[in-house]
Amino acid sequence: MATLQDSGRFGSRHIGVGSGGAMDLFALLAANYLCNNDGEEAVLELNFPAPEFIFEENAIIALAGADFAAMINETPLPPWRTIAVKKGSILSFRRPVSGSKAYLAVRGGWQAEKWLESYSTHLKLGKGGFGGKAIQKNDSIGFLSSSNSLAIGKIMPWQVSNRELAKVYGHADQIQCIAGKEYELLTATSKNDFNGQFFTLSQQSDRMGYRLSGQPLMLQQHVDLVSSAVDRGTVQLLPSGSCIVLMADHQTIGGYPRIASVARVDLPKLAQLQPGQAFGFTIISPQEAENQLVKRQKLLSEIKWACTINFKKHNLC
Amino acid sequence: MALHNALAQNAFHGFIESVPAYCSLAIFYDVAVVKASYPSAPTAFQLVKELTEKLIAGLNDASNKADNQPIVIPVYYNGEDLHSLAEHHRLSAAQVIEIHTQQIYKVFMIGFLPGFAYMGKVDERIATPRHGTPRTHVSPGSVGIAGFQTGIYPLHSPGGWQLLGQTPIKIFDVEKTVPCLLKAGDHVRFTAIDETAFNTLNEYT
Repeated sequence: MATLQDSGRFGSRHIGVGSGGAMDLFALLAANYLCNNDGEEAVLELNFPAPEFIFEENAIIALAGADFAAMINETPLPPWRTIAVKKGSILSFRRPVSGSKAYLAVRGGWQAEKWLESYSTHLKLGKGGFGGKAIQKNDSIGFLSSSNSLAIGKIMPWQVSNRELAKVYGHADQIQCIAGKEYELLTATSKNDFNGQFFTLSQQSDRMGYRLSGQPLMLQQHVDLVSSAVDRGTVQLLPSGSCIVLMADHQTIGGYPRIASVARVDLPKLAQLQPGQAFGFTIISPQEAENQLVKRQKLLSEIKWACTINFKKHNLC
Repeated sequence: MALHNALAQNAFHGFIESVPAYCSLAIFYDVAVVKASYPSAPTAFQLVKELTEKLIAGLNDASNKADNQPIVIPVYYNGEDLHSLAEHHRLSAAQVIEIHTQQIYKVFMIGFLPGFAYMGKVDERIATPRHGTPRTHVSPGSVGIAGFQTGIYPLHSPGGWQLLGQTPIKIFDVEKTVPCLLKAGDHVRFTAIDETAFNTLNEYT
């Protein structure tokens, strides 16, 4: 499925319209910055198999997130780079190499419908993005043509470095989280299981939530919780004993016990897992989670600034 | 609700939005912005907690007063569960309708679906648990009961609520600037209409 997304729809959760947005917010922003965009522009979120695109005008694009062995005509296209594409070129994705969500950004952003302050696609309501729908064959998506750029048909020499990527996606089998409101209600055995075991991403995982397979967890006693607001990253304990991590398109309200909350800095890493991949949770303090988030913001600012400088240096507009 | 409104009017730096629920208010904020704006705070969480506590202390009874008139929602009471629910409670359908329409309900929260308003408290004479097995398809505008809650389905959806009738009014309209008719804190009253009136008013076609 390919949909237009941005960093989310805010201000409408209280009427049941969730924030949505890209599953991997780091990749979305990096892709935008690599196109010298502000970060608010609509980006295409792609799963594998991903569509083939024909560029009807020159364009400056960038790919971030998953590596689907992209090609422009017959030239391999690495992710995390700025690419000047020639009119008539065909962008295709040959095979899933790593990760599960790829982001395709274009200079100026993809033309998208804004609804309730966001370009994100709300599939259920059919609003936002590409008229509220996923992209289908023969669809045309508009963008600002870069015909006055000096570079045509080039992979630009700068990139988001491997060192920087390791900070975001390194230790892929370890997902940091903070203890949830109902964490203490877990039995001692279940607490051990939560901290010590490997969970596997099940096939029943989608933009609403990632279902996890593993040793069933139990509370010391049954609780009937009054529903309250939840957020992306909330780890809910279902009656069956299995866990689900709420993702981008989660419902705004939940009534299941919240045993943990994935640290925002590790959501991109989690989002990029493929069904069948295993990981373990590591509980960190809220303070540590906040500190890492501030560092992550700095990293993104640095990437944005570096791209802006490079665009100027190479006379890309 | 008073806190939800106070936050909307007096947002701190980094405040994104707040979401009322039955007995909680979730406050969403941008950690980096909060920390940058209030650098002396050990954590953004602590800062937000303190600011919220100050706001709560500043709220008085006046800010909690519900001065909004009840919103009247017309309902054509021909729901699939009306008769079985009436039978279950040893009432006539007409009595169920009378009991459902004489109450003024408070909207406690909107959630699960865009525009789905959870309202209460339903009179115990007609309060009924959800179906054990939900229907795969409930049409938009369906008015139902689940336990002591009453609600209206804003969209096509699977659903387990006991269906009493249909409202012709669109309670969630994506084309409107303010898409949602109801919000937490509103008061609602239902009124019975006949099939002709329903067809005349029907916004769902």
